[in-house]
Amino acid sequence: MKCFLTKLYILAFMALVVFFGVLIWKLTFAHLIHEYHARKGHVSIEHTGEPDKKDIGKQTFETMILESEDRVKHYLGYRVLEEQRIKGHFHHIDFDIGPDNRSYCRSCHGDMPHDKVKDVRAFLNMHAFFIACQTCHVKLEEGEKTNVYKWYDRKTGDIVDSPVNGAPPGTYNAKIIPFVRENGQLVRIDSEDKIQFATEYKKNEKVLSEGQKSMAKKLIHKFISKVPVTCESCHTNNNPTLPLAELGYPKTRIDSITSTEVVGMIKKYTEFHMPKMLSPGEKPATPPQQPPVPLLSPVPPAAPPAAPPAQH
Amino acid sequence: MSLKSRFGPFGHIGILVLLTIYFMPSSVFGADAGNCLVCHKFPGLSRVGENGEMRLLYVNEEIHNKGVHGSVKCEGCHTDITKIPHDPAKPVDCLVLCHIIEPTSEQKFSHKSVATSLEDSVHSKKDKDGKEKPFSEDMPTCKDCHDDPMFRPLAFVKKVRPGVAEDALGRCRVCHSKEAFIDKFYNHITTRLHKSRSPLNIAEACARCHDDPKLVARHNLSRAAGSYGQTFHGKAANLLDESVPDCLDCHVPKGKSVHQMYKNEDSRATTHKENRGQICNSVDCHPGASKKFSNYQVHAEFDKGKNPVIYWFTTFFIILTGGTLLPLMAILFLDLLRRLFPNASFRRRKEKQ
Repeated sequence: MKCFLTKLYILAFMALVVFFGVLIWKLTFAHLIHEYHARKGHVSIEHTGEPDKKDIGKQTFETMILESEDRVKHYLGYRVLEEQRIKGHFHHIDFDIGPDNRSYCRSCHGDMPHDKVKDVRAFLNMHAFFIACQTCHVKLEEGEKTNVYKWYDRKTGDIVDSPVNGAPPGTYNAKIIPFVRENGQLVRIDSEDKIQFATEYKKNEKVLSEGQKSMAKKLIHKFISKVPVTCESCHTNNNPTLPLAELGYPKTRIDSITSTEVVGMIKKYTEFHMPKMLSPGEKPATPPQQPPVPLLSPVPPAAPPAAPPAQH
Repeated sequence: MSLKSRFGPFGHIGILVLLTIYFMPSSVFGADAGNCLVCHKFPGLSRVGENGEMRLLYVNEEIHNKGVHGSVKCEGCHTDITKIPHDPAKPVDCLVLCHIIEPTSEQKFSHKSVATSLEDSVHSKKDKDGKEKPFSEDMPTCKDCHDDPMFRPLAFVKKVRPGVAEDALGRCRVCHSKEAFIDKFYNHITTRLHKSRSPLNIAEACARCHDDPKLVARHNLSRAAGSYGQTFHGKAANLLDESVPDCLDCHVPKGKSVHQMYKNEDSRATTHKENRGQICNSVDCHPGASKKFSNYQVHAEFDKGKNPVIYWFTTFFIILTGGTLLPLMAILFLDLLRRLFPNASFRRRKEKQ
């Protein structure tokens, strides 16, 4: 036993010696080598100009916020506010949410997939942050509906308890996913074989023929409905699509989600002015009269010539 | 006459309403008079812009309300937003007249004086003659150095609330009744009594430009933030020492705005050869130090071309340190290896063969 402990002690000591050896190397000779290469490096002098749009396009929400290495710690004395630093973003974020490793839609559609309808794209992207794509984009037929929805962890993909209660709205590390019945059993809609198929397709996309690609895409999007679930389907008191109470939403949040404040904005989607009562002496702005905008819908309205181009 | 007899049951309701308003959290009266956070409280509120750039539209209400701009309404800065849903928001003009009344002039508050200082400083986009400087796009704008500033109250008393001295607040309450006012005023004053950002945060802010190799090359500068990090001051700042000088302590004339920094050749600059001696020997730093004391190369880089003496001197000591300690580590490792395998030998293996 004593011999074993001695050997263990020696091994630990050796590890310590190696650690210090590497540290000394980095601080001494590695520093000289780095300086030598840095001196050889050529820095071109040119105007910064516009950033390369191709590079920007490759950015995703994940690379910008979730995996950003440009972190900053604000030493406020009474607390340290640590967050990712986003160039040009003025307001503090102070939240960290892990990447959605489960979704297979993201690899092609990105983290901010909604872009077509300028009026509502930011709202839809906001929902995509805690609602899986299939929740809105797979419309199950009456017979297929199970009305079972659960939360899954963004990082591990496992089904987890509701993260809603107590957390600030929308800051969950989980997303809502629908369940379907297959062979009499309740299974999540994003089954392992679907993920496997989409992953394989993405991996082999370059070597597939156009016909094969088309077929694969059709299979992946087999369940996707042309018209997604609309906003009013959930933001309503009358039998909403999502069982909010079962998903762990407390009554106050359900009331807020189905409140006239939210529902009214969706339904009317027309302008209303900020209260000016806190700015005495200022004349209220007289906005141009615009016709009301149709209901919020991810599909662009047919012909809204004078619709206010509200963008978020 | 009793309250009940004068106002009937409405007297009690009135008191209840007043008490409710009095005890309402201050956040209720925060910046969000326009109810913008109905949407902007969601972290996922984001979009890809017309030019492919990512736009995060989230505002952390809790952090924002505790900050310097906590009592400014959203539309106070985002002046172009007058309706919900709103049109694409224009970039905020920091020089806009704010809804807050500046108490000494009783005029609406504005950051215009900052812009005036900046236009006259080394960071101006234009030179003395009003001509555009080369690479003027590199010159900083507000958001390059500032994010939403947070209060940084003196934090030496942490008994009840972190960073807040309840004893001092008690004295405020003798004359002032509005809790929100007391809180804001206390934070404002105590933040201004010391550095509003830690020396490390200041150095980091400057480093974003002054350690950018391309920017430094464009303006023929030295990597000042990096070399600051090599000094005693920089190393202490890295260990969160609050008492060491940061970039602003040496480059901003005492009593002036931090935006009033000038070129070394400008006689107003603290780093001008005539003024340099007064930086180090100020009462706060090294009182009694001679003028020569401040002539040392504070931003000397480990660079063969720019500072050959320092380069070779440092190289000698690096080689001496590495050359001594690394063989020592190797000997230690071999010694431990022998202790681990006392009978191991290449020779014996050969004999067996």
